[in-house]
Amino acid sequence: MKLQFGRAGGLFAVLAFASVASRASAQTDYYNTDAGRPVQIEDAYATERYAFEMKLAPVRLERTRGGVYSWAVEPELAYGILPRTHVEVEVPVAYVDLGGGRSRTGVAGVDLSLFHNLNVETTTLPALGLRADFLFPVGNLGPNKTYTSVKGIATRTYSWSRIHLNGQYTFGSNDERSISTGSGGSATASGPGGVEISRWLAGFALDKTLPLRAMLVTADFFARQPILKEDKVDYNLGTGIRYQVVPKWAIDGGFGRRLNGPGQGWFATFGTAYSFALGSLMPGSGR
Amino acid sequence: MKSPMKASLRMLTVMVASGVLIAAGASPASAQWSTSYEQFYMPGSFNWAFRDTYPAADRLFNAFDYGHAILYEKLYTSPGAPVSVLEGTEYDFITKKLLVNPPHVPLEESAIEVAYAKLAPEAKAMFDWAHLLHRQIYDVWSDDRLSSAQKDAQVAKLVTYYKSRPDLAFSSVPKSMELMEGQYYSTTFRTKYPKFNGLIWAYHWLQVGLYEPLVTGKTQADRQTGILAAVTRFKQMLESPPDGMPRIMPMTAAVAPTFARRYPEAAMIFDNLHSMHDVVSDILASSKVPQNKKREEILKAASRYRDRTSFAMTPAAWMQMAQMMGVENMGGPSVGFLPELPKGTVARGSTEAMNMGSMKGMSGMSGMGHGATLSGGTSSASGPPAPGGMAGMDMTGTTGAKTSSGSMDSMKGMDHSSAAMSGMSMPGMAMAGMDGSSGAMMAMHKRMMADPVIRARMMADPEMRRMMERVQIGGAGATMTHSHTTASPKKAATPARKTSTKPAQMKKPAKKVPMAGMDHSKMKM
Repeated sequence: MKLQFGRAGGLFAVLAFASVASRASAQTDYYNTDAGRPVQIEDAYATERYAFEMKLAPVRLERTRGGVYSWAVEPELAYGILPRTHVEVEVPVAYVDLGGGRSRTGVAGVDLSLFHNLNVETTTLPALGLRADFLFPVGNLGPNKTYTSVKGIATRTYSWSRIHLNGQYTFGSNDERSISTGSGGSATASGPGGVEISRWLAGFALDKTLPLRAMLVTADFFARQPILKEDKVDYNLGTGIRYQVVPKWAIDGGFGRRLNGPGQGWFATFGTAYSFALGSLMPGSGR
Repeated sequence: MKSPMKASLRMLTVMVASGVLIAAGASPASAQWSTSYEQFYMPGSFNWAFRDTYPAADRLFNAFDYGHAILYEKLYTSPGAPVSVLEGTEYDFITKKLLVNPPHVPLEESAIEVAYAKLAPEAKAMFDWAHLLHRQIYDVWSDDRLSSAQKDAQVAKLVTYYKSRPDLAFSSVPKSMELMEGQYYSTTFRTKYPKFNGLIWAYHWLQVGLYEPLVTGKTQADRQTGILAAVTRFKQMLESPPDGMPRIMPMTAAVAPTFARRYPEAAMIFDNLHSMHDVVSDILASSKVPQNKKREEILKAASRYRDRTSFAMTPAAWMQMAQMMGVENMGGPSVGFLPELPKGTVARGSTEAMNMGSMKGMSGMSGMGHGATLSGGTSSASGPPAPGGMAGMDMTGTTGAKTSSGSMDSMKGMDHSSAAMSGMSMPGMAMAGMDGSSGAMMAMHKRMMADPVIRARMMADPEMRRMMERVQIGGAGATMTHSHTTASPKKAATPARKTSTKPAQMKKPAKKVPMAGMDHSKMKM
């Protein structure tokens, strides 16, 4: 175990700053799930129109085989820019323990995504969504070039559970190693010293809502093919809870396990989210 | 794993199989493509002020969300279920557990009304959008940092913002009762489930009723006391179901007259909202509407509640209808009430048409509510003058309003205050033998009493009330009262009852509860 809390302290500083900066008064919906909070598979609905959703201090701790740890803080900001459509930017900051007293800390790329919900679920059709991610080569832990990925999402609700299906594909050559942190967008964490972008990712999630407790219990299973040819498909299980603390503040937490491959190990996540809107962006504000 | 290619194929197989599973859950009926979407509430310093200031009342509303949601879900998914499921099991759960310990945040109704939310997501979105307006107006009036003028300005902004979503917004033009009570499926729910229906009406009573103490309270302590009293009255209604519950749908202009006068558009929106809640219940409960037609009927009703022409009536007629139906039948006023519940004067669940039809000579007024139809956005001559607070209300687009039925055409321009009403026998309003001068007096009195402020002041004065009870118009012994409704057609010829002359709502409480400043969060709900 070579976790270096001193260096990781910088990440907590970011976390603390984000918390202070989050004076927002709005409603956050524990019911609408997001990738990585707490599980990878998300639902087909976008952030509501005009809403900003600030995902603060989503922390991910991962321990791979051999006792190597990595930390990441993945602050995100989403905005409901159009009906059933949001844009989102994520700037993951990672700390990776490479072992042997070596470590790497830095920004792990900038992920810009566009999410569009095609339809609301009806008696005859599931809710469908599309997402495009652009992972830019920013930061010393970021990839060396821009990667683009697309994702299709379906959500179906039954009285006993909701089911979400996600399928994602990333374009671009696979001739380089690139760093990313993992939970969001096109990338998932891998072994020490290097985090790989997925060529494809597919999986499903089941969740059960406890509406009177404002709580959602979820679990997912997904497989992904790392973008490097030599890496094999890995399989992942995750579970977690989302909880609405007050109308304007939700928290989530979860843990999971990578079942095979060099990155085999467990991971844990914790996050909070605030939503708010800006009066100047609301309809009629200019009149 | 043998190779990435094999793994890819395996995953593809899993995805396809999962997709088939999901598709299998869909009905083979024609696809329903819905693109309804949610929109954030209007930001402001007042956001969540009601929750912070009146937490007990706020939490009750969270419980109300459950009541509506489980009702629709059960009605839709279990059409043949015993009545006791809603009238017993669910009612008991709501009143004995949920309302006692309400949820701490607004509920995600989609997780409760799973099938209904998929059946008519457009209608669900309309309810959500209107409930948001409800809560935001509470917030504005709970924010003591805002002056009265600022509150008015904020409410105006909220209504404008609400109306900026025409795909979701209920019309701010009042709709006649014909839309709610005159359809082939109408009144099914209230007839079959009187207790649960009473509970819903009690919800709606509180939802509009809370505005009155907020708007009329002079101080924060007044408002705290008023809110607490209204919440207590709500709980009192549930003690003896359905006797203590409203007998007809509470109307904002009757239950919260000061609020309705100040914000008529909001009040009309809320009446339309609550009316459509009843309509959806009827559609879901009625066996006359096949399961595969329920979505169609709900969307049809939703469209009518959104437009400005279907079943439209004038604001003045709407205001007058609220008065004439009798606040005592709607659960009573939400401020200044007596300790005991008001005595209703109409049969439980009776329709406006039934009540009005029982009045001789007025059988053609079914669904009309004593008002004139909209015509160029003007009020009927007989209606009370539009309150000052209605100035500036946007009535554009109401020209050429369609009527709910042909019967309303004959009522255009009807002047209730004229001698045309001679010979009409209305319980509580015997006017036989009235001559012209007493008719004019009657008209003047009616106009004055239609003004909630004047009415409140008159009724708050015991001596004035006694004088009114004794007053003889036209020398023919016609006792003038303002209970224009009757329990049943059989009683149509019954002379005015003294009980109906007691507008209990106008009395001040015998004893004010010294609850100012109390902590609502510690109030046992």
